[in-house]
Amino acid sequence: MDKMMKMKKKSLPFDENVRRLFVILVVLLLVTGITKSTAFVNLGNFQSIGKQLTEYGLMSLGMGICMISGGIDLSTVYVANLSGICAGLIFQSSNTGAGVLAGCVVAILVGALCGAFNGMLISCFHIPPMLATLGSYELFMGISVVLSGGSTVSVNGEIELLSSLAILNIPLPFIIFLICTAVLAVIMGRTKFGSRTYLVGTSEKAARFAGIHVKATIIKCYLISGMLAGIAGLISLSRLNSAKADFGTSYTMQTILVAVLGGINPNGGAGKIPGIAFSVIILQVLSSYLNQFPAISNYYRDLIWGAALLLVLVFNVEISRRAAKKKA
Amino acid sequence: MNKKVKSMVKQTEFYVLCIIIAFAVIIQIRSGQFLTSNNLMDLVRSMIVPGIYAICALLSFVSTGADVSFPLIAALSAYVSVVLGNKWNLGVVPIFLIAILLGCLIGCINGFFIVKYRFNSLIVTLGTSSICSGILFGTFEAGRTELPEKLYTVSKVNIATVKNSATGLGSALPSTFVIMVALYVIAYLVLNYTMIGRSVYALGGDEVSAQRAGIAVEKVRFGVFVVNGGIAAIAGLCYAMMSYFYMPNEYAGAEMLVIAAVILGGTRMTGGVGTLRGCLLGTFLLTMVSNSLILFGISVYWEKVVIGAIIIVGTAISAIQARNAGNPFAGKKKKEA
Repeated sequence: MDKMMKMKKKSLPFDENVRRLFVILVVLLLVTGITKSTAFVNLGNFQSIGKQLTEYGLMSLGMGICMISGGIDLSTVYVANLSGICAGLIFQSSNTGAGVLAGCVVAILVGALCGAFNGMLISCFHIPPMLATLGSYELFMGISVVLSGGSTVSVNGEIELLSSLAILNIPLPFIIFLICTAVLAVIMGRTKFGSRTYLVGTSEKAARFAGIHVKATIIKCYLISGMLAGIAGLISLSRLNSAKADFGTSYTMQTILVAVLGGINPNGGAGKIPGIAFSVIILQVLSSYLNQFPAISNYYRDLIWGAALLLVLVFNVEISRRAAKKKA
Repeated sequence: MNKKVKSMVKQTEFYVLCIIIAFAVIIQIRSGQFLTSNNLMDLVRSMIVPGIYAICALLSFVSTGADVSFPLIAALSAYVSVVLGNKWNLGVVPIFLIAILLGCLIGCINGFFIVKYRFNSLIVTLGTSSICSGILFGTFEAGRTELPEKLYTVSKVNIATVKNSATGLGSALPSTFVIMVALYVIAYLVLNYTMIGRSVYALGGDEVSAQRAGIAVEKVRFGVFVVNGGIAAIAGLCYAMMSYFYMPNEYAGAEMLVIAAVILGGTRMTGGVGTLRGCLLGTFLLTMVSNSLILFGISVYWEKVVIGAIIIVGTAISAIQARNAGNPFAGKKKKEA
């Protein structure tokens, strides 16, 4: 059995679910290319797709890791806003190279701090993850409101480069997203921490008896999620030239959707990072494709995504049922 | 008697009540405006809709898990019933019936996926609320809508009005208050004195034992989500009635605060524990915080910080309590709702 698995791994990259997502992506690209070739298949469009997906893509990666550990992180969007506002305030006071660098570092640090705070609440005080992050999201949003005085923090200057720069025509945010995905895929797939996270997500009790430091593992998961949110906050700050306490409220829902579509089991313990990356790209391609039809209101996206979420869940269950039957 | 006092002191509701009283006393001392008739009336008024939502959240938490779809079920079913009411010039009762029916239908979708496939209820309800918002804003292109004439007349009826002689500010208690009280009374009776109500608690406490005891687990769970849809629809109409207009953009986003209020009131996320009393107290506390911070002498900018801190501290206390008690389901809390 074990050998067979290994052989399968060697012959094809990724696991079954990720391969399926890849096929969906290719089919989607073909369909969009054929039906809307002139408007859709051009460099500008793909560049904007690459730019738009980064923010919630990064947050979805964080959400995915938290879900793998058996939790959920509802606060990512507000962590991102808080980091964006902190960075924005620093940029406002000093717009030199050093100031920009300091702002970026502070944003990621703030994200990490918020994430660690979430992790502490969950692992040390044993608050259910959903509740802990629900409370902390109000808290972070509140701190953002206090820091920004309830208004928009606007910046300009070198930070714009973060979102407008393109290397070989690939927008920088997309490159950041790819790098983060690759690093996380290695962390979750190849390191001790990764396998520990999967074990904690499958059964916390078993993990504890296996001698795993559950608390530290959970704190690290949320810390990573917070850092990713911090990076997302920086990118959105540079893209919009501003940050606000209640920006991107609907992203919370989207990140959960993306993670689940990417094959992460919301009950923990299963799912692969590349799956999240593919599902982010699929969703963004799909919604830019829908934007090509002026008759279709933007709000239909909600409808489609909600339906897709339920369908994918059912589909996954049916597939695993069939696989179980085959084995038997 | 002594035992009763002891068990009361152990309950989360008791702590929430203490916090409420402490807050009230401090606000009263600082501003002298808390115990005025119009402030209290305003508080009650602004907790009507969250209070009704809280029943939904309680039912779903006690039986299964989180339900976040109620604000959008409320928005969608209220919209359809208001539009149909305008079209056919319907009376108040048919409008409510249409809304409840539609709410129940959407609740069926929730129930179907949660019961049949045993999915996480949070994820399923997120999906349905996204679908609802797609239908509401995409298909119907809902906007600000006037209420049907008959509904509008009823919404203008106030069951009590008061006037603060010192400040000259007046407040009124709208007729929707009656709906909330009626819903709470029905929920109390059903949850405590009927087989179905007790099954809801049994199901959340331990599903396997409930099944062995002969409870139709799947039917009860399905029923809970259908009823939730209906209650949400009523809340949606109440909200429209209290603002005298139907405004679709105002609904989304209410779920998190309601869930927080219910959890603060002592409901366990793991199921099986939770009381209607706790719901009311939790909702009252959060409404009070967001309404009275100014009286407290704190700038409104701090509202979210205070609410977040209350949620975190409150849940941390109850989580630690549950751990210390060893078994989260033990004790007398389950007996009453």
